[in-house]
Amino acid sequence: MLEVNESTPVAARRSQSRLISLCINGEWREVAVKPRLTLAEVIRDSIGLTGTKASCESGTCGACTILLDGRPVLACLTLAIECDGRQIQTVEGLAEGGKLSAVQEAFLDQGAVQCGFCTPGMLMSVTALLRENPKPGREQINKALEGNLCRCTGYNAIVDAVLQASGQGVKPVME
Amino acid sequence: MILFDFDYERAATLRDAAALLARLGDDARALAGGTDLLPNMRSELVRPGVLVGLSGIEPGPPGLEADGALRIDAVMRLASLAQSALVREKLPLLAESVHAVGSRQIREMGTLGGNLCQETRCLYLNQKHDYQFAAPCFKRGGDCCYPFPRNDRQTCWSVHMSDVAPALMALDAEIEILGPGGTRRIGAADLYTGSGLKPLSIRGAELVSAVIVPAQQRTGWGFHKSTVRGGLEFGMAVIAVSLQLAQDRTTCAAVRVAVSAVRERPLRLASVERMLTGAPLDGQRLAQAATEAGKEINPLPHHGFSRRHLLDNIRVYLRRTLEQAVERARSGCA
Repeated sequence: MLEVNESTPVAARRSQSRLISLCINGEWREVAVKPRLTLAEVIRDSIGLTGTKASCESGTCGACTILLDGRPVLACLTLAIECDGRQIQTVEGLAEGGKLSAVQEAFLDQGAVQCGFCTPGMLMSVTALLRENPKPGREQINKALEGNLCRCTGYNAIVDAVLQASGQGVKPVME
Repeated sequence: MILFDFDYERAATLRDAAALLARLGDDARALAGGTDLLPNMRSELVRPGVLVGLSGIEPGPPGLEADGALRIDAVMRLASLAQSALVREKLPLLAESVHAVGSRQIREMGTLGGNLCQETRCLYLNQKHDYQFAAPCFKRGGDCCYPFPRNDRQTCWSVHMSDVAPALMALDAEIEILGPGGTRRIGAADLYTGSGLKPLSIRGAELVSAVIVPAQQRTGWGFHKSTVRGGLEFGMAVIAVSLQLAQDRTTCAAVRVAVSAVRERPLRLASVERMLTGAPLDGQRLAQAATEAGKEINPLPHHGFSRRHLLDNIRVYLRRTLEQAVERARSGCA
């Protein structure tokens, strides 16, 4: 292996894998990652949790949204190596003991899922929103979800689902 | 997915990061939020050999200095900045501009310094090279400019899209820059060169370390970001106005107007400021000034909008933003 010190020409470097530990949905995992791997690639390919979607990979669709230390971030624009020792929650971590979360149930009740590709990102953004604002209005919901694109354009049902999950008088349309 | 290998060094402090960048030379780039750098690496617009990660550096809370100026660490995340009670109270213009950036996720990741230091954009430049038509453009080391075939000046007509920079320019903010030789301060406008090839005036081993905004007294403000959708996009024009009225509540005592998403750098509109300063601010005068702005700006067509459309857009929204600032200045003086 190449020794890197101050006199080594930078061009001669080869990036090495480094061992990092991630707490994903409450479970600590150790993974060897190269610096160029994104968190989305590690979550999907190394850990095997494929609920998180990688779509545009340039920060414009929000399908890869996960919670990093409780904050919604884009896993496709986060290097995994920067997340050593941090708490990650993915869509798989929303259900507790086999029971879907209130937000997930509301998405089902409102038919807020069409092709379903944006749904994991939507669920994570909504979960983050409801944690800091338990009763958001329509405008606040729109603003909070501006970074999540639904190419089926099923936004009304999604906003209704957030209103239902936050107990604001929207009734389920599907039982 | 980034298709080339690079190395990663984590900096514990900003000073460490500057030292690392100085030692590693041109091959290294600082990585803050990554929302601009990583997509550019993915499209291979930049191919650094080493990234110096700033994410381990905790920003201090925004703090008031002795002269009432507000000092904000550059590594502060945009979301925390927009939520800071102190910033919202003292600098609502800045809070509003930060709130207009990207999406919730982008604001959670992106930093203040990173927003100011973002790469310029054009429909051609920010593409994966395989998707480019034939050959690299001037900015990628080629010999032509595809979006502007008549651009024969060996330059790049890409556009700087920062939402925050015009607000800071309107607030007369200063930027603190940390380099191997220590820190220095420049005006917010001087961070930009006006060249699309190299938009930033700071050198390789330098970092934006803080932003210092002077105290604003009896100031009205206006902010507008023109977009098609209203969320998660780069602006058609981003307009920031900061304005003070004289005692009679009609005459303009001082005004600063800055616009971005129009040229290779965010612009201060000197001719508009001259037309308004010392003049009574009635509707006609504001409309005149907004019409004048088009001559000074001469926007580069970007994102598929024609020059004519961009000019009309600026004329209308600059007038409305000025009116908004006057309104706020009047209610503040009451």
